Amino acid sequence: MVVGDIATGTEVLVIGAGPGGYVAAIRAAQEGLDTTLVEKDAYGGACLNRGCIPSKALITGSGLAHEAGNAESMGIHADPAVDMGKMVEWKDGVVDRLTGGVEKLCKANGVNLIEGTASFADEHTARVAHGGEGQGSESIEFEHAIIATGSRPIQIPGFEFSEDHVWSSADALDADSVPDRLGIVGGGYIGMELATTYAKLGAEVTVVEMLDDILDPYEDDVKRIVRTRAEELGVEFHFGEGASEWSEGADGGYLLHTETEGGEESTYGVDKILVAVGRRPVADGLDLDEAGIETDDRGFIETDDRTRTAVEHIHAVGDVAGDPMLAHAASKEGIVAAEVIAGEPAAMDQQAIPAAVFTDPEIGTVGLTEDEAEVEGFDPVVGEMPFNASGRAMTTGHTEGFVRIVADDETGFVLGAQIVGPEASELIAEVALAIEMGATLEDVAATVHTHPTLAEAVMEAAENARGQAIHTLNR
Amino acid sequence: MPVKEFKLPDVGEGVAEGELVTWLVAPGDRVEEDQPVAEVETDKALVEVPSSYDGTVEELFVEEGEMVPVGDVIISFRVGEEGAGDEAAAPDESETAGDDAEPEPAAAADAAGSDATDAEPDTPSGRTFAPPSARRLARELGVDIAAVDGSGPGGRIGEADVRAHAEGGAGGADAADSGSDEAPAPTPIDAGSGGRKSAVKKRGDDGSAEPSATTAAPSAAPEPAGRETTLATPATRKVARELGVDVDDVPTDATRDGEAFVTGDDVRAYAEALESETADSAAESAPEPSPVDVSASGDAAGAGGAAGSAAEPSASGSTDETIPYRGVRRTIGKQMERSVYTAPHVTHHDTAEVDALVEAREELKPRAEERGVKLTYMPFVMKAIVAGLKEYPSLNSELREEDEEIVLKKEYNLGIAVATDAGLMVPVVEDVDEKGLFELAAEVRDLASRARERKLKPAEMKGGTFSITNFGAIGGEYATPIINYPETAILGLGAIEERPVVRERDGTSEVVPAPTLPLSLSIDHRVIDGAVAAEFANTVMEHLEHPLLLLSH
Repeated sequence: MVVGDIATGTEVLVIGAGPGGYVAAIRAAQEGLDTTLVEKDAYGGACLNRGCIPSKALITGSGLAHEAGNAESMGIHADPAVDMGKMVEWKDGVVDRLTGGVEKLCKANGVNLIEGTASFADEHTARVAHGGEGQGSESIEFEHAIIATGSRPIQIPGFEFSEDHVWSSADALDADSVPDRLGIVGGGYIGMELATTYAKLGAEVTVVEMLDDILDPYEDDVKRIVRTRAEELGVEFHFGEGASEWSEGADGGYLLHTETEGGEESTYGVDKILVAVGRRPVADGLDLDEAGIETDDRGFIETDDRTRTAVEHIHAVGDVAGDPMLAHAASKEGIVAAEVIAGEPAAMDQQAIPAAVFTDPEIGTVGLTEDEAEVEGFDPVVGEMPFNASGRAMTTGHTEGFVRIVADDETGFVLGAQIVGPEASELIAEVALAIEMGATLEDVAATVHTHPTLAEAVMEAAENARGQAIHTLNR
Repeated sequence: MPVKEFKLPDVGEGVAEGELVTWLVAPGDRVEEDQPVAEVETDKALVEVPSSYDGTVEELFVEEGEMVPVGDVIISFRVGEEGAGDEAAAPDESETAGDDAEPEPAAAADAAGSDATDAEPDTPSGRTFAPPSARRLARELGVDIAAVDGSGPGGRIGEADVRAHAEGGAGGADAADSGSDEAPAPTPIDAGSGGRKSAVKKRGDDGSAEPSATTAAPSAAPEPAGRETTLATPATRKVARELGVDVDDVPTDATRDGEAFVTGDDVRAYAEALESETADSAAESAPEPSPVDVSASGDAAGAGGAAGSAAEPSASGSTDETIPYRGVRRTIGKQMERSVYTAPHVTHHDTAEVDALVEAREELKPRAEERGVKLTYMPFVMKAIVAGLKEYPSLNSELREEDEEIVLKKEYNLGIAVATDAGLMVPVVEDVDEKGLFELAAEVRDLASRARERKLKPAEMKGGTFSITNFGAIGGEYATPIINYPETAILGLGAIEERPVVRERDGTSEVVPAPTLPLSLSIDHRVIDGAVAAEFANTVMEHLEHPLLLLSH
C-alpha cells in the first residue's frame, strides 16, 4: 500500500549497497554527481554481512584453535575450548565495524542513502518502497542507474533453508554452536571453506558433491592438495552423488539422502545440512522489464565492457551482471560504472581478475593456466616453486602446495599463476600486478624479494620458468 | 562473420623475416584471393604478399617499416559476409591513411626513428600488453590500443607509446564506441568535465614534454642525458649493462611519477646511436666536412625541430644523417661479416691479355644483335670459369664444417654481383656449362636489370656455386673480393683496357699496348690452397686468351 508517494530526482541511482554498489556510489559522488544509494537490508551486502568477511573471521578463529591444539611438534601442548557463540559475536563485531564504516564513507562523500527496496517504473524512474513498517514509498527520477543487487544462495528442491536443519552459507556463519555432524551439499569454494572451518571446530563433516571432485574450475594438482588436507582434517567426501532429500533421523539428527546418476542411494546421518551449491542473481522484484532490460536464461543482466546494459544509461555491476561473481570484480565494475557515467574513459579492460579460496591451504589464482594459455594461442612456459623448498613456509609449519607461474615463452610476458599454499590469497596479488603491468618473467625474477618470506616463492617460480631457479631443480 | 588471420608466408626458401615496406590495402578494403596486400622486402628481394582470402581487411597488425618474422600474423580478414562498417574495424580506419599506399606519418616516423629491433610481433592471441594507465590513456585519446606499437620489453605499450601513436595519426579517430549520445565517447579530454579529477589528465599536464619528441628521440644525436635518477625495469637495466650504457644517460621523454622512465628500446636506440656516431666519424670514406662550429653556423635549432627538447641543441651539434640498418643493407652486412669472419680469404691477382677475346667478341657481336642479344664479355668469362672449375673442382665447393666434409658441386651455377640502388645483389645463372654464349648473355642481362628494379625472386639468388664480381664495369683494375659464403671462391674482373704489356717481337722484348683483363681471385684458404688458386687462374686466363679453347667444352 502506497501511503505517501514523494517524487525526488537524482543524477545517479545505485540499487544495492554491496561491494559493487557502495563503491559505485562513492565514486559517483566523488565525480561530483548527485548520487542516491538504495539498500534494502544491510550496507556492505552479502560480502560484508554474509560472505567474505564473516567467513574469513570464522576461518581465522577456527584455524587458530586448530593450530594451537595441533602444535605438539613445536612444543606447544594445548586443548583450546571454542565458545562458538562468542566467536560469532566477535565476528559480528568485525562486520558491524565494516558496515558502519561503509555507511559513514557513503555519507562523508555526499551519497544520499535510502533504506528500501527499489524497482523500476520506467527507463528513468524507480519506485522505492521504504523499509520498515508503515513506511511509504517514493518515486525517484534518475538520469543514470547502477543495478548492484548481487546474488543469493541457490536453494535446491526439498532443501528449503531454515536455521534448524538446512543451512545456507549465511546460517553457517551465524551458528551459535558447532553441530556434531555437518553434512555439506556442494564441494565448491563456499562448501570447501566451510567444511574446513567446521572440521577444525570439531564437527564431523561429510561433503556430498555431484561432480567427481571438489573445486570444479581448478587444476587437478591444486584440487588434490586441498582435498588431501581436508581429508586429514577428517572431512569425508562422496563424489558423484546428488542430495535428493532429507529426513529426521532416529537419533534426533537428520538423514541426508543422496543418489548417484545410476540411481544408487546413500544415507548419511547428520545434525545439520549446509547447502552450498552456488549463488544466483537477485534480479527479481526489480521490474527490469519496465526499464526495458532483459536478463539471460540464468537471470543475469548482460553488460558491455563499460558495464552498460542494453539500456545505455542503466548499468549493472557485480554478481547480478554475471561471472566472475567476486566482490573485487564487483567493486571494479562499480568504479567503472561511475566513471563512465561521469564521462571518464573507464572500461573493464583488465587482463585478469584474481581469485582466492580460503581453504586450508589457500588457493590463489590469476590469469591463465598453462592449458588456457595454449588455447589462447600462446606458447606457454611454466615455472614452479614448491613450498616445501621455502624456508619461510617451513617456519610456518605449512609446506603443502606450490607457486606456479605461466608466461609466454617468446616474449616472457607473465600470463597467469596458480598458487596453493600458505597465504596464497595474498601472494597472488604480486602476480596480478605483474600481469596487469605487462611484466615479463625476467622482471619478476630480477625484482628483489624480501627474505625470508613466502613471496620469494613467486620470484623462484619465475626463475624456474627461465631455467634459473636457485632453490629448486630447473625443469 | 569469421575473422581469418593471415601470417607472413615463407616468401622464399630460408627467409626468416622481412621488412613490411608498404601496405597495399587498408582496413575496410575489399580484397580478393591472390590480390597483393603488402610489399615485403626479404633477404634480397621485394616481394608482394598475396591474400589467401576473399573478404574485407579487418586489421593490420604491423606498421610499415617493421621487421616481421615469417609466421607472424600481419593482417586479418573478415570473410564470408560484408564486414565493413563493423565496429571493431572502425577505430583502425584512420590509421592506415586511405587507399593510396602512402605511408602514414606515424609509421614513417617510427620506421626512421627506431632501431632494427623495434616492434616485436604481436602476441599470437592478439592480446595487448599494456599497463592500466596506458590503456586508460588510450581510451582517453581515442586510440585503439591494439594498434599502438609498444617500445617496452617484448613490445609492451607504455603511456608514451600511446601518446606518440595519438600524435602520429589518430587525430580525429573514431571512437570504438557503439554510439550513444549520452554515453561518454573516449574522444580527447572533454573540456566540460569541470572539477572532476582524472589521474591521467593530471599526469599529462604536469608531465613532461611533447609526445612527438619521444618518437624523434632515437634519431637525435646521442647526447648523454646525465640524469641523477632514472626509472627502468630490471630487464631494461640488464640490457643497459649488456650494452655498456648508463641508463641515466639514455634520453627519454617518458616519465613515471615525475621521474624519467627508460625502456629497453630506448637503451638499444641510444647504444646504437652512440655506435653509429663513432663508426661514422671513423670510417666515412667520403670527404668529411670539417667539423662545423654549430653555434656559429646558427642553424642548430633547425635540425628537424623535434630533436630539440631532449638535449640542449647547442651542445649536440651533430648533423649526421641516420640511415636504418635493415632490409637489404643489413642482409648484405651480415653476409659479408659472416664470410670474412668465417673464411680466411686469400686473393690472387693476375692479368689476362685478351686481344683474341676482344676480336672474338667483335666477330660475334653482330650475330648476337641479330638475335636481339647484346653480347658482353661476361659470357666468355663465365665459360672460361666453368672450364677452370671442371679442372679444379675445389673452387666449386662448399665447406660443411659441422659435417666435416667439403662438398664438390656438380652444378655450375654462377652468381653475378649486381650493384643496385638498394645495395649489392647476386642473382644466379644456373647450369652455365650447359648454356651457349648468347643464352648466357641474355640471361645475365635479364637478371641484372631485374635486380636493379628489385624484381628478383628470392629463389633466383639461391643456389650459386661460384660468383663473379665485375667491378671493372665501373672502373679499376684489382680488388679483394669477398667470397659469397658458403661458396669458396669468387672472381673479380677489372676493366678491359689497353695497358702496356711486354711482348717479344723479332727476338727482342718490347712494351706494347694490348687489351688486358685484370683478375682478382679470392679463395677460402681453408678449402683451397694458393697453388690451386693460381692454377685455376691460369686455366681461366688460358681460355680467355685463347677463346677457341672454349669450344673444347
